[in-house]
Amino acid sequence: MAPTLLEEVPPPRLTPVGGVKEALQRRSARPGGRAYTVVRWSGAVLFAAIVVALVVSLLASSSQAFAHSGLSFFWSGTYNAAKDIYPTGVFILGTLITTAVAIILAVPIGVGTAAFLSEFAPRWLATPLSVAIDLIAAVPSIVVGLWGLLVLQPIFTRHVEPFMKKIPVLEWFFHGPALGPSMFLAGTVLAVMILPTIVALSRTSMSAVAVEDREAARALGATRWQVVTTAVVPGARTGIEAAVTLGIGRAMGETIAVAMVIGNNYALPHSLLSPGATLGSAIINNFGEASPGLDRASVIGLVVVLLVLSALVNVGGQLLMRARSRVVGATT
Amino acid sequence: MTPHAGTASVSLRDVSVTFGHHRVVRDVSLDLVRNRVTALVGPSGCGKTTILRTVNRLHDDTGGKVTGKVMVGDLDIYARDTRAELVRSRVGMVFQRPNPFPTMSIFDNVVAGLRLNGVRSKSVLREAAESALHHAALWDLVKDRLHSPAVKLSGGQQQRLCIARALAVEPEVLLMDEPCSSLDPIATAKIEELIAHLATDVTIGLVTHNMFQATRVSHYTAFFLLGEDRATGELVEYGPTQQIFDAPLDPRTRAYVSGEVG
Amino acid sequence: MSSTVYAIDPDAAGAIGARRDLVRESARRSLVRRRLLGRAAIVLCVVAVAVSLAPLVALVTYTTSRGIHALSWTFLTHIPTPPGIPGGGVSNAIVGTVIIVGVAVAMAVPVGIMAALFLVERTGRIASALRFAADVLTGVPSIAVGAFAVAVFVDPFDHYSGLVGSFALATLMLPIVIRANEAAMRSVPRDLWEAGLALGVRRSRVVRSVVLRGALPGLVTGNLLAVSRAVGETAPLLFTIFGSGFLVANPTQPMQALPLTIFTDGTSAQPSSQLIAWGSAFVLLVLVLVLSVVARVVSARLNRQAR
Repeated sequence: MAPTLLEEVPPPRLTPVGGVKEALQRRSARPGGRAYTVVRWSGAVLFAAIVVALVVSLLASSSQAFAHSGLSFFWSGTYNAAKDIYPTGVFILGTLITTAVAIILAVPIGVGTAAFLSEFAPRWLATPLSVAIDLIAAVPSIVVGLWGLLVLQPIFTRHVEPFMKKIPVLEWFFHGPALGPSMFLAGTVLAVMILPTIVALSRTSMSAVAVEDREAARALGATRWQVVTTAVVPGARTGIEAAVTLGIGRAMGETIAVAMVIGNNYALPHSLLSPGATLGSAIINNFGEASPGLDRASVIGLVVVLLVLSALVNVGGQLLMRARSRVVGATT
Repeated sequence: MTPHAGTASVSLRDVSVTFGHHRVVRDVSLDLVRNRVTALVGPSGCGKTTILRTVNRLHDDTGGKVTGKVMVGDLDIYARDTRAELVRSRVGMVFQRPNPFPTMSIFDNVVAGLRLNGVRSKSVLREAAESALHHAALWDLVKDRLHSPAVKLSGGQQQRLCIARALAVEPEVLLMDEPCSSLDPIATAKIEELIAHLATDVTIGLVTHNMFQATRVSHYTAFFLLGEDRATGELVEYGPTQQIFDAPLDPRTRAYVSGEVG
Repeated sequence: MSSTVYAIDPDAAGAIGARRDLVRESARRSLVRRRLLGRAAIVLCVVAVAVSLAPLVALVTYTTSRGIHALSWTFLTHIPTPPGIPGGGVSNAIVGTVIIVGVAVAMAVPVGIMAALFLVERTGRIASALRFAADVLTGVPSIAVGAFAVAVFVDPFDHYSGLVGSFALATLMLPIVIRANEAAMRSVPRDLWEAGLALGVRRSRVVRSVVLRGALPGLVTGNLLAVSRAVGETAPLLFTIFGSGFLVANPTQPMQALPLTIFTDGTSAQPSSQLIAWGSAFVLLVLVLVLSVVARVVSARLNRQAR
């Protein structure tokens, strides 16, 4: 999802335009008016039909798998014809781990970048830099995956991951051999992909903090950085949280790039250097070979699990933000 | 140990402020007399606020170029080795529209300035908050809900909170930029009373477009107008408030004061 | 002057100035630390910016430097050779991408405009529900759309085709197109709507001559950007078009597309295949870049004309 798309187009003013409805009541009976109405409603109906069809078909196609395994599908998966389990629980764990790595990497870097662009960079520098960062979002995930596989993986295996093993605090996360595909590499690739989202939204929120709040801090004797920590970041917090939630959603839903670098291993990962699998990568790697019937239904079941997980995280994030704002007392 | 010890007077000599190519105000010389209220009056756009903001170096951030000399006590605040942040901890400011930090509680707002300047001790913060809130006539109102959000206060109360916040840092000078212009008459009256009381402990510079307010609370008045070029503001007359309003020396002052102009 | 509730208890209040020296000292002493901290923080932020830009730079340079090696007339005009045998090209993928995306656009844009017109004209629960659905759908992983297309069109007939891939892409594009088009139409100032209507002109006519024309820059940009997104999508195509080693121009048959080539050749161990993948990735990047640039240029020019 490229947030820049809607920024390109002027923001909508949601004022109802049909205000002169009464005066036109008579006119809409004319042939031209009716055709126009038909056109509009067809568009709406078609779209609605597709949305409904999407939901229904996914549920229907996976129903066989859920019927077979019941709710246990959500953690232990189901048997395919060859009596191999799709260990959904392992996939979910993989999704969570890679997403966590992505967030840990992308949020500090993204918020720091946003702070610089919003608060310290002169306008002539900030604009081209933001455009450049947004461009990453435009790169197709397959290309990012290819780069991750053929360029990043050798570098990580040979240099980065051995280096991470040496850092005292992180040792536990990085034990084991660096074999190539790894969850850490997948998490890093995801971080690259969600960074533009986090930077763009954080930057917008920071710039939106009122100049009065900044002046208040300044007038009390704050240094420029103190203005950022006292007035800007707290004021932008809801926006930053929204950015993080969006980033999490994007990271969890990414399939192709992760599938190329994570190694498709179904054992429980023992460290960040293990190869593994996420819901997305498992779907990609199994869809093609899954024979119609329970097999295929199970893979589509994984799609449903992914959607449910994303929805849960999204809703959870929104609830958290709403609860927080109630405590603080309605701000912007 | 009199309460007057430590306050300063402010003197401006030939101060001009320029933004880009536009000189907003020129050659202003006036004093903010120690422990007195000096009002800066005049129609909008004559540079009163611009001059006020030279005293706490707020133009550093806005790109305004300040020439001339501004002394706070015996400190030349635009000297090369003077740190703006230190100036601002000695010269406080209250703005036109109340601007409490929206994400902070009442208490955190009041002590924000102290925290920003490195004061950590909880007991000092608590004492300072109580004192400042007393002086802003807010203590009785908020003493039981110090940790509730500041934005829940009414407009007038928020402005008094901002005054408390500025006072907590114990400034020698307090600059007030039309502090009542967004408030209703009752809130305005309360703040005017406050200003009159505060003057004994702080030097106050007050920008107001309401000349009656000036007569009510100020000891000295500086009258500004747009110069003949209609682009640059200038100081027309400066003196004791009584004299400015009863016996102005400059005909333009007389015209403004008697309501013929502006 | 009435004395209101203002009454200071001098003992409780303490004079202003009791802590003046303390505060001054604290401010002075802490300033060095605060400024140092601030400078260090800003330096860290600059580092963050550099780190943010590094992937873009790396992506573009690696893709270009390795992809250029693969580029040749053969590459662009020949079909692939069997795996392991060097040479060959991706003409089948290029043609496939163009056709599949073209059909997808033909499916998504008209419906998108029609639905956007619906949303623009109405408020109320149906419209809000549709808008909400569109917003949710833009965030749905593209594999879900691919699975949907497979479930509805591939499995029942056991037949893969470019058309199904186009349908999947169109479904992906639809919510983006709808929201962008609605936004573009709403950006047309209300006075223009009302002026046209006040003249007694039929609503549909007003829409055609005034609104669509006024919204044209936004419409063009929005739709072209949706296309540039669709061009790069892999998951919706992976299991719907099946792929083909031959140049297929008939959308009702299995076809090849650039993302597919990149995926299969990129994950192969053969250096010659990897080279093909880089070349395809480069072509894809150029395609996406050209579409974005064209979108911006056309919209800017249309904006200028409208002035």
